Amino acid sequence: MTVVGYLVNAISLGALYALIAVSVGLVFAVLRQINLAQGEVMAFGAYSLWLMRSLPIWLAIVLCFAICIAGSLVLQVAVFRPLRGASALATLIVTFGVSYGLEALWLVVFGPNGKPVSMLIRLNNTVIGGAIALRWITIVDIGAAALLLGGLYALLFRSSLGLRMRAVAEDFSTARIVGVRIERVVTVAFVLCGASAAVVAVLETVQTPLVTTTLGLSLIVVALVGVVLGGLDHLGRATAGGFIVGFVNSLLGSILPEQQLVFVTSLTFLFVVIVLVVRPAGLLAPRGVGVERV
Amino acid sequence: MGAEPAAMTPPGAPLGAPGAASSRALLEVEDLEVTYGRSRAVEGISLSVGEGEVVGIVGPNGAGKSSTLRAIMGAVRRSGGQVTLRGKALAPGRPENIARLGVAMVPEGRHLFASMTVKENLELGRLARRRDRRPRFDDGEVAELFPVAEEFRDQRAGLLSGGQQQQVAIARALLADPDLLLLDEPSLGLSPTAVAAVFSALAHIHELGVSILLVEQRAEMTLEFCSRSYVLVGGRIRFEADRSTPIQTVIDSYFGADPSARSELRR
Amino acid sequence: MTEERARVALPRPGRARLRLGAEVLGPLVLVGIVALVGAQLSAADKTDAINVLVTTVIVVGLYVFIGNSGVISFGQISFVAVGAFAAAIWTTPVATRDATMPDLFGFLATPRLTSTESLLVGAGLGALFALAVGLALMRLSGLSAGIATFAVLEITYNVLANWDKIGPGPTTLADVPATTGITQALVGCAIAIVVAFAYQQTRSCRLLRASRADPLAARGIGVSIFRHRLVAFVISGAICGFAGALYAHELGSISVTQVYLALTFSTLSMLVVGGSQSLWGASVGGVLLGVLFSFLSNAVNGTTVLGFSFTLPNGLNTIIFAILFVGALMLAPRGLTRSREFLAVALGERPPRARPPGTIAGRSPGAEVPLGAEPEPSEGTPTSGAGESAHTGPPR
Repeated sequence: MTVVGYLVNAISLGALYALIAVSVGLVFAVLRQINLAQGEVMAFGAYSLWLMRSLPIWLAIVLCFAICIAGSLVLQVAVFRPLRGASALATLIVTFGVSYGLEALWLVVFGPNGKPVSMLIRLNNTVIGGAIALRWITIVDIGAAALLLGGLYALLFRSSLGLRMRAVAEDFSTARIVGVRIERVVTVAFVLCGASAAVVAVLETVQTPLVTTTLGLSLIVVALVGVVLGGLDHLGRATAGGFIVGFVNSLLGSILPEQQLVFVTSLTFLFVVIVLVVRPAGLLAPRGVGVERV
Repeated sequence: MGAEPAAMTPPGAPLGAPGAASSRALLEVEDLEVTYGRSRAVEGISLSVGEGEVVGIVGPNGAGKSSTLRAIMGAVRRSGGQVTLRGKALAPGRPENIARLGVAMVPEGRHLFASMTVKENLELGRLARRRDRRPRFDDGEVAELFPVAEEFRDQRAGLLSGGQQQQVAIARALLADPDLLLLDEPSLGLSPTAVAAVFSALAHIHELGVSILLVEQRAEMTLEFCSRSYVLVGGRIRFEADRSTPIQTVIDSYFGADPSARSELRR
Repeated sequence: MTEERARVALPRPGRARLRLGAEVLGPLVLVGIVALVGAQLSAADKTDAINVLVTTVIVVGLYVFIGNSGVISFGQISFVAVGAFAAAIWTTPVATRDATMPDLFGFLATPRLTSTESLLVGAGLGALFALAVGLALMRLSGLSAGIATFAVLEITYNVLANWDKIGPGPTTLADVPATTGITQALVGCAIAIVVAFAYQQTRSCRLLRASRADPLAARGIGVSIFRHRLVAFVISGAICGFAGALYAHELGSISVTQVYLALTFSTLSMLVVGGSQSLWGASVGGVLLGVLFSFLSNAVNGTTVLGFSFTLPNGLNTIIFAILFVGALMLAPRGLTRSREFLAVALGERPPRARPPGTIAGRSPGAEVPLGAEPEPSEGTPTSGAGESAHTGPPR
């Protein structure tokens, strides 16, 4: 593969992580809660694709969206609503527990061996062969992410609903005082999370057609790293952070030799620690942005 | 500041007689209690605001003024008592619903959405409008009342001066077309000119038929502006004052009745 | 003079000391009972009892930092890992080391320690590692602390699993002397409890606990939260490293996945369910959930209770722990003991009114409460002004 090929692949993986990061960022913006359970919604979506393997592809995908959105809403009612007003950290800990429990649930229900999902495997075929080696899925990845993120941007900045969402994100209690129906805004946020989870579930199963129990946590932890690096307080930066982490990971994966590659995880997390200590508002935040620190 | 417009009380509105107000009361608060953990901020107060009336609440720092206002709005939990609007009980805990019943609040410290433009802030104000009636004032009138809002439409609200922000905050509340306007310390941190501008605007709003409940620390100005004022000290209403009440009586009540009120707590 | 009267006549400090003695006795007696019962059991069940005791050491280690500082750490299992591998490697026969880990650094490859020595080394390395990590991280709190300590766990795991110069890498290091019996586990547990308890009596710990309730006020009167947190972190690291060494000698083998996420999750659950803010809570959580954990782990492999033999599906044990963990956090953030110490529970004293810290017990408005996110009164959350009281409270 050439440099162009590496770059395109890196963009594609970055786009995938940007989609996960934006869901984490969205929930944090609206509720100041950390949605670690988003990963398990994606896993649930991926498993649902396996369950629906005999259905027509289009129907399976539509149902996957419905299932992910429903799952996301169930989590909002069962976990996030009772935790309103709790600290962000408390939500991190609780959703960590929820994710861990759900992972075990997948183990019980679907077994330890992973489930093959090969419905869209054709997308792995190459568009341009040879040195660049561009696959269809790469294009679909980038296209879907661009569409979703662009749509979200339009929703937030060009619609009345988006205005309300931004109001809630900026000042929760004042938004209520001016009459923003908070529950609707929260519901919309979780619907968006569910939709993005479905997109990730579909794209991820194309690239890795074997769904395992650890799918959710492994993706969400990397995305969370990106969110923290970019800046949790700012949706755009959080998303960009997710993209960068995916991008760099993919690039390093193509460049580094195997025996050094294994330590990329360590380097990434070391970087996270350094950023948290030195620039707690995130790498992408402008200088001077303060963050609670006791 | 312009005090004389406040003298205009719409016909039929009771003046200085809370007992009589109950038949035509717009807002009635009975035995309101607010507690934070173990400390009681408001200890059973009752008050009313008549249709078209301008009522003040004065008191020292930490007397429970803001808590009262926020409890009426449903923004803090009340531990006892009842709030009714035109005889209809207001359920606590959902300020967004109360806003949609025709109560608008200008919170202490303005609380504009700082990263948004003035225009966007005003648009959010329109959210709580009731659909079943024509608004009392159109955008033009609000623009006339608060030229700042028009002039800085596309400016980020956070970049405005305190006085300008206060004007936008009141404009935002007005665009909800409220029957009752709750104001929490609108003069806080403003220059004398800005305070005068705010109060003259309020007088105008009152003329248009909006009832006002005004919480203020500046007792003298408030007594002058409102048809009646409640003096709130240590979470209780000490007495009701009006324009004829000597200001010294009010000040004395701050310190006389409850020694704990003497400790000026930083807000 | 009867003994009774003599006790009554004791001067105040003496009586306080007596009370202290009784206080530490609770956890000690509890683990003593586990050991006594365990000693009577069959060999297989005895292993479970040992495991309960060793797990309790880890939970006590977690408590020393998390409970006293009110700051969460997902990273303490890193110190367990370091202690476990140090103890395992240095006590494994040199020949085995040469055969299975040929790339080992010289200082790891040759010296051979006794098990007892290795426990001390485990504790020391745990403390040292905690010191290094703590110097960098102890200024963080809340969400940042949670994520940063998680990152430490990930780094430790990643390095241990891949660097064959410092350990067995992804493989299991067998041939570790299995010297942790019931007695050793009991003594280890008792040491951890006494250390945690003694630390709790120090001025540094008192200041730390005070800062947990109100960090700003503590800083205002000149308390260096950083220093006191660091002390707690290092002591916790020492206990965790010690526990790791005990653990390696209990298992007789060690692999890096045994000291990673699953152990982090199960021990955190024990702390939270028991009551994260008291030593009694940590001990009760460690023992009770430790027993449950052993039972469930056995049930996954098939077990017999009262003549019924059954097998739980693999994963159900984790699900039950997750339910307990999440349920405790959401419904009873102060845990089974309501985070009271042993005597307060035994004498039926009322729990302290102070709120649980915002860090692990979600409900309370700590420094990390998001701006303006008030608890919804309609949802039946306890009355807490969520920062509201800070500026509208009455002057009392």
